[in-house]
Amino acid sequence: MSLPTYPSGTVRTLLETEHVSEATRAALESRLDAPTTYEPQFLAPETYALLEAVAGRLFPQPDRPEQPISLAPAVDQRLLEGRADGWRYDALPPDREAMRMGLGGIQEIAHSLYQADFLALQDIQQNAVLQALASGRPPGDTWLTLDAGRFFEELLAELTETYYAHPLAQEEIGYVGMADLPAWSKIGLNEREAREPQPKN
Amino acid sequence: MPDEEILEEGVLNPVLPEIQDPLLRSLMADEPATAAAPAATTLEQPQAVPAEADEVDCLVIGLGAGGAPLLARLAMAGLKVMALEAGPWHQPEKDFATDEKAQEYLFWNDERLAAGHDPLAMGKNNSGTGVGGSTLHYTAYTPRPLPSDLHLQRDFGQGEDWPFGYEELEPYYEELEQFLGISGPSPYPWGPARRKGYPLAPLPLNSAAQLMVRGCEMLGIATSPAANAALSSRYYQEGVGWREACTNRGFCQAGCSNGAKASMDVTFIPLAVAHGADIRPNSFVTEIERDERGRVTGVVYTHNGEQHRQRCRHLFLCGGSVETPRLLLLNELALTSGQVGRNLMAHPGVQVFGTFGEEVRPYKGIPGGLISQDTHRPKDADFVGGYLLQSIGIMPVTFAGQVARGRKYWGQQLRDYMKNYNHIAGINILGDCLPHADNYLELAEEKDARGLPKPRLHFTMQENERRMNDHAEALMRRIWTAAGATDIWAFPRMAHVIGTARMGLSGDDAVVDADGRAFDVPNLYICDNSTFPSALSVNPALTIMALSLRTADKFLESQQRRDS
Repeated sequence: MSLPTYPSGTVRTLLETEHVSEATRAALESRLDAPTTYEPQFLAPETYALLEAVAGRLFPQPDRPEQPISLAPAVDQRLLEGRADGWRYDALPPDREAMRMGLGGIQEIAHSLYQADFLALQDIQQNAVLQALASGRPPGDTWLTLDAGRFFEELLAELTETYYAHPLAQEEIGYVGMADLPAWSKIGLNEREAREPQPKN
Repeated sequence: MPDEEILEEGVLNPVLPEIQDPLLRSLMADEPATAAAPAATTLEQPQAVPAEADEVDCLVIGLGAGGAPLLARLAMAGLKVMALEAGPWHQPEKDFATDEKAQEYLFWNDERLAAGHDPLAMGKNNSGTGVGGSTLHYTAYTPRPLPSDLHLQRDFGQGEDWPFGYEELEPYYEELEQFLGISGPSPYPWGPARRKGYPLAPLPLNSAAQLMVRGCEMLGIATSPAANAALSSRYYQEGVGWREACTNRGFCQAGCSNGAKASMDVTFIPLAVAHGADIRPNSFVTEIERDERGRVTGVVYTHNGEQHRQRCRHLFLCGGSVETPRLLLLNELALTSGQVGRNLMAHPGVQVFGTFGEEVRPYKGIPGGLISQDTHRPKDADFVGGYLLQSIGIMPVTFAGQVARGRKYWGQQLRDYMKNYNHIAGINILGDCLPHADNYLELAEEKDARGLPKPRLHFTMQENERRMNDHAEALMRRIWTAAGATDIWAFPRMAHVIGTARMGLSGDDAVVDADGRAFDVPNLYICDNSTFPSALSVNPALTIMALSLRTADKFLESQQRRDS
């Protein structure tokens, strides 16, 4: 089965309609209208640049060259505010410490594999660094004390949830659950309401 | 009890709150520019805390499925009752967005530490806060347990029996189904015949439910539309008024915005308020005070950054399987049995996803539309107990996070897989769990922003849970294959935290008696999922509510005996 692709503009159009509640619209528009530039407030500029580069490999967006969905600002903001999501692997240190150690550890992997900074590597080399991390046994002293598998899982999950909370990412997968007013009545297999988008192919 | 100091005549205050998390403090020192330090308030000494003028008859801590029903019952009996809830009181119609991130405030987001070989994900998976507690985001899947769930030990020689049988809970299940307006099939295909059917017809089946019917039919597994505490039509509820029907928005796990789902804030809490209950949201209890005889005299709680003291004649602790034992451990209360924090259980809840040629659009309809309890005692089981099968709806952000964690996809592979979202459907199980010495809750050295020790939950699946999960995963893969799925994968998962203050017949091995009363403290009752002696093979909410009503009735009976 070929991958479905959905028409662009669906979600933005739906947000203007009465199918979306005030609270829902406010949440989604704040992400659509987020400023395109962001100055890191918790991470040091060079650490933040590294996080951005890692996010760029975990969520490559060649289809949005002008304006990719930014993922790093949400991480920086969360660390700044000290927010948690209710739990942490006991194997990992507190989030701020884990993030700084882990990003430093990614540099270590880059130096070990390619004798260069992560930011100086080609896409394919950066992918190899992240693959080494994802495998759970990357090179580098950092990973003797920081659980590589758990760190990668947490980082990836946070970026993933930020990505798919964005209206344009939701549009990409054909999700329009935000347009739930007044009700869904066609909920069975192959049933579609008029306001739900049809895939293009 | 050790290390207690008497700060006020007749009142024992064992808690010595530390102000700052040392780890955080050292991190702060690294980053002097940040303003993110948790508010480093110096807690006032307890003797400076003013007591409310009036003592209440019954004080309830926590307003979820454990606290709300008994609050209403006690208020209706004419007692002076008050409830302290750590979280806020929401206006769902106005506040609740159809958006997972925006709704994260429904979860208990203070950090819990997850240890062991199978660490329990907390937060959105297993916690709640606010007036209504976890029922604000429960799926509303409300099957009754089957009678044999309550006596695993008698049947298998393993696990723990409840101190009473199913017949004790049955009238409460019936009362709850009628009061909450549970939608479900009548007659119900599994378990003993019932005196009354569900008051409302089942909710309509969504795509995942239809696919599960298809797969199960081919394998000869019986299915049925499930019992769900969401209204399939408008319903008049005594003491509450009219509640509107479910609009199939599929976002139960992120909060119901129209009151169709029977969360406590639209059912028992308004009923309690109508009978005079005093609800105090944003009130976080830190201390439970006692007199020289060990009876509870009241609690100290923080509200808007200020400490308050509330006196009570009886205390009902309903904070759930993490906060209830944390409060007991912090206050060195009811610890004689040595069981507080022990017997931590979690339901095996492995999920299986597959991709279908048809359009599923998995964000619509009640998430748990379908059930099978044919697997309650599987004939080919190599484990104790059993499980139920359930079709599941999928919200995009939660699902994407599971794909990242479970499939370890990233980059283009993750984006490509997620493009199948509208063609993906899931099923899962909910199975029994045996208590084990390795699975427990303790207080960690590390402190939270309030200066209190973080809870650490140790959990490792034992042989029985692993075998059950394997059995279930294999069966669900067959069901999904039969239904026509491709690219089938399993996400290992545990759901619900249970145990940690168990109920039993003797104070030697249980924290509370069969009525929910603490063996050590005559005017302390505990009512939430912490008191479950065994996990049961069904979702816990309905049984927590049943225990809550039963505890209230047992308490009222004991008061009548004293009066007469």
